[in-house]
Amino acid sequence: MTPQNILLIPKIERGFVIDHIVAGLGIPVMALIGRRPELGDAVVTLGLNYKSTRMGRKDMIKLQADALPERLLQMLALVSPGVTIKRIANFEVVEKVVIQVPELFDNLARCINPNCITNGEPHVATRFKRLESGSKHFKCGHCERVCSLAELAGHLKA
Amino acid sequence: MKKDLISIDDLGLEQILDYLDLAARVEALPAEKKAGLLPGKILATLFFEPSTRTRLSFESAMCRLGGRVIGFSEAANSSTAKGESFSDTIRTVEQYADVIAVRHPKEGTARLAAEIAGIPILNAGDGANQHPTQTLLDLYTLRKFFGRVDGLKIALVGDLKYSRTIHSLCRALLAFDGVAMTLISPESLRLPGYLTKAAAGTTATFRESESLVDALRDSDVVYMTRIQKERFPDLVEYEKVKDCYRLEAKMLAGAPARLKVLHPLPRVNEISPDVDATPHAGYFEQARNGVIMRQALILDLLDARP
Repeated sequence: MTPQNILLIPKIERGFVIDHIVAGLGIPVMALIGRRPELGDAVVTLGLNYKSTRMGRKDMIKLQADALPERLLQMLALVSPGVTIKRIANFEVVEKVVIQVPELFDNLARCINPNCITNGEPHVATRFKRLESGSKHFKCGHCERVCSLAELAGHLKA
Repeated sequence: MKKDLISIDDLGLEQILDYLDLAARVEALPAEKKAGLLPGKILATLFFEPSTRTRLSFESAMCRLGGRVIGFSEAANSSTAKGESFSDTIRTVEQYADVIAVRHPKEGTARLAAEIAGIPILNAGDGANQHPTQTLLDLYTLRKFFGRVDGLKIALVGDLKYSRTIHSLCRALLAFDGVAMTLISPESLRLPGYLTKAAAGTTATFRESESLVDALRDSDVVYMTRIQKERFPDLVEYEKVKDCYRLEAKMLAGAPARLKVLHPLPRVNEISPDVDATPHAGYFEQARNGVIMRQALILDLLDARP
């Protein structure tokens, strides 16, 4: 890490680093964090557009919190799959997990089809199943409309 | 575990063939024996949008099995008009019936009904999505006429873009061996690309043609569809294409004897009434097969196979 980076986004003693966010998605990821009442007291630092050997440019977020809500992790898989979650203790990385695209999104997003019954009856839990392993397309478990990961990310539920 | 029939995509080839065999067994039963298969059982037909044909077909199927039918034929006659949710309607009606056939203008309703209800659900059409009983009766009709589905040459004519019947049938035909489909439609009503792409890796083939006359000479089946006025946001566009493919008896003069003309009905202008008297007309027998296939499905879902 260069001295300039340290100045912009300092090390944290404990908490989590969400690293390898595709440049430009840092702010949408911040919005996800902002939706979680469990993280209301967390100190959050956002860094945008860092140079990255692997990605060219990347965004990064540091949270001083004891735990990350499960729903936040699920939403990260939808909005920014491929990010690395690093758990920090005593300024050191003690655990590292890469968030993958799952086979199923359970009640995380609304269907993109306005005529899907799940949009007519919003209390109904949605589900979107991956078409096949490795695909970035998902099928609505109700109306069977196929949509992309990006389309689903634009229809997040609260 | 209870059974439902929601989407043709849920069925593998083996299960489709099993339903075709079951329908043949049901058809072979004497009427009086059929009439004793489901005494005391009730089918609820919940039709949130009008469909006289499908509803009557389901009702006839149940009545001829000795069961009874309750239901409504449009949302205005249901509690939906009073603001009741679809989920509540299903939860209530399942207390009154043993099996439900549901048609609704929104996609995904039959799947939702199946999740909610503890009794079997038959999808009688959910918006533009699925109409699996129509697909199964179409397959049954093909097998009755030809003794097989594999290797048939089938021309699909008319509205290939919006027709739920065509979409479901295409997907089912991909599971069979070597079905050759010829697509004949106005440019604005072509089959969606995702369906033609689905043929990759199967033995089915698609080809486009503009000539209905050529198809009549070279096909086993011509499957006609109505150009659906209600699907067009712009009626000027509808007027341009509404009568673009019209089949008349004189056009069948050079057709092979085996050729059958099918149609999910209702027809408007796309098949002239003079076709009815030709040996090629298969659409009324197709409608009859709808009752037989729905009997088979009701019996299967109620665990009352003969």
